[in-house]
Amino acid sequence: MSEEKQSESKEAAKDDLPPVIEPGVYGELLEKKKFKVQHLGMDAMGVEMIEVAAESLLRVAEYLRDNKKCQFDLLVSVSGVDMVDYRLSVVHLYSLSSNESLCIKVRADEKEAVPSLMPIWPAVDWHERETYDLMGIIYEGHPDLRRILMPTDWIGHPLRKDYVENDPRLVWNRR
Amino acid sequence: MSDIQGITIERDIQSEDMVVNIGPQHPSTHGVLRLVTTLNGEVVKNMEPVVGYLHRSKEKMGENRTFFQYQPMIDRVEYLSAFYDHYVYCTALETLAGLDIPKRVQYIRMITMELNRISSHLLWFGTFLLDLGATSPFFYAFRDREKILKLFEDISGARMMYNYYRIGGLNADIPDGWIEDVRRVINELPKRFAEYEAIVNKNPIVMDRCIGIGIINTEDCLKYGVTGPALRACGVAQDLRKTNPYCSYDEVDFDVPTSTDGDVYARYQVRIQEMYESLRIVHQALDNLPGGEPADIRKLQAEYDAVATEIKEAKKRVIVAQKQETEPEPADVKKMEEEPPELDKDWRIQGKKKVNMVSFKPPVGECMSLVESPRGFLGCYLISDGSPKALRIKWRGASYSNLSILPSMMIGNLYPDLMAVFGSLDVILPEVDR
Repeated sequence: MSEEKQSESKEAAKDDLPPVIEPGVYGELLEKKKFKVQHLGMDAMGVEMIEVAAESLLRVAEYLRDNKKCQFDLLVSVSGVDMVDYRLSVVHLYSLSSNESLCIKVRADEKEAVPSLMPIWPAVDWHERETYDLMGIIYEGHPDLRRILMPTDWIGHPLRKDYVENDPRLVWNRR
Repeated sequence: MSDIQGITIERDIQSEDMVVNIGPQHPSTHGVLRLVTTLNGEVVKNMEPVVGYLHRSKEKMGENRTFFQYQPMIDRVEYLSAFYDHYVYCTALETLAGLDIPKRVQYIRMITMELNRISSHLLWFGTFLLDLGATSPFFYAFRDREKILKLFEDISGARMMYNYYRIGGLNADIPDGWIEDVRRVINELPKRFAEYEAIVNKNPIVMDRCIGIGIINTEDCLKYGVTGPALRACGVAQDLRKTNPYCSYDEVDFDVPTSTDGDVYARYQVRIQEMYESLRIVHQALDNLPGGEPADIRKLQAEYDAVATEIKEAKKRVIVAQKQETEPEPADVKKMEEEPPELDKDWRIQGKKKVNMVSFKPPVGECMSLVESPRGFLGCYLISDGSPKALRIKWRGASYSNLSILPSMMIGNLYPDLMAVFGSLDVILPEVDR
């Protein structure tokens, strides 16, 4: 009888807790090396996602590029995501040797700043400029961070959820 | 310093740099691209691409429209190989929603995508040689591209903006006689490709302008994120169709053409070989197309429908008899217990779980789907928050990364090589600017 009660209470406790996310291959590898990593599970395509703190991003990135078990040598894309409360910089990586993909998420701080990945993957150059242009995330350490897709004198960052296009210079805003 | 007729020329013309603005409207850029180039004589000293002239805010549009409303806009992201854009978008949503795609749909998608690759490469072939100064290959290439566009017109009603794939299936089945048309075209194309190769491959002008020009290696490609034929021309057999098979590419047999030279000529050869490989894939996909001719499927479906109707009517008669408290006919009772036959699920053009386009809501989640487009990695990063509109849609176009390598290829080289090098990268500007 008591055993049954215990198991019931355990089940109830399980329901209260958020679902436990199993660490993936690369997340586990990073954790072994004492990097602070938050596991986010797999995306729908089966690609592992991890969240890394801004201060340890460059060291994690260097490890992921140089370690023989990872070898993420190709940077696929950088995308900015507006989660309303905060903004994310999402980096997708691909490895030519193991054909695996990995997704790293970095949360921008209150100054909208994230360290630039230029020293690790120079391919991020235009991608970071685009994310700055459209989402307003500032990549610290990027040598040439300016607008790329929008006109250079554009006001605001269009992909933000709170973006209101009220530039008085535009014809349709004069009326 | 020299003195001519009393005027002292103080500046030394030889050592002065000149800034030349190429574009934004330039016939060889196939779009709107501006290159601010610093020249020292004929040598390029610095180059800065200015993009964004074609920015149409495709990503913002995706957040303001439902998934179905957004579909016709995808064609415009990259209009030369629009089937790939649609495939990437539909796959992302199908994976998120956990829909299973019938084999017939996958095969038709594969056939159209590979034909699209050929038509895209043909356009590249024509315009690339036009940039080099040869006019006639342009007309040959467009003549053959026209035949493929006719096939697409038959299947989707449009020549460039297809909007043919749907989430979970296809807009419509292939029309009658389409398979025969495709076979006729793909049997004719190898002869044409051989003609092109005979004209171009050993042409002394082409060889002079292409061999040893714009050389890059694998490290350069990785440094700038270059993928696709440009990467394969450096000797890396990287093809997502082989390494991370999607659709039904693991069921067909094909090779990944590579070259080790990494110059303009190598990229030309890789693309020509890819067209042959695409033809091989189309041949195999047509032979193994589940269901075969659409007329046969319709006939079978009509037979099955007739049986199902009979069973339904028998059921009705039994119910009426029970209500009237009379004995139902034994034949009807027997018929009622039969299961109505169903069409093979691999032969359908829509998955079994029908998608309501108006109220389609994928579950909360995210997904990055990647395919090998004619230009390289094409990706769609899609985040859904469970509403009928996406939280974020990000397009990863291959041209965007491929264009960023251009300055480093040109600096220190001759200005007249610019169009050969730029053409060999096969950049399409609408995909860069989105």
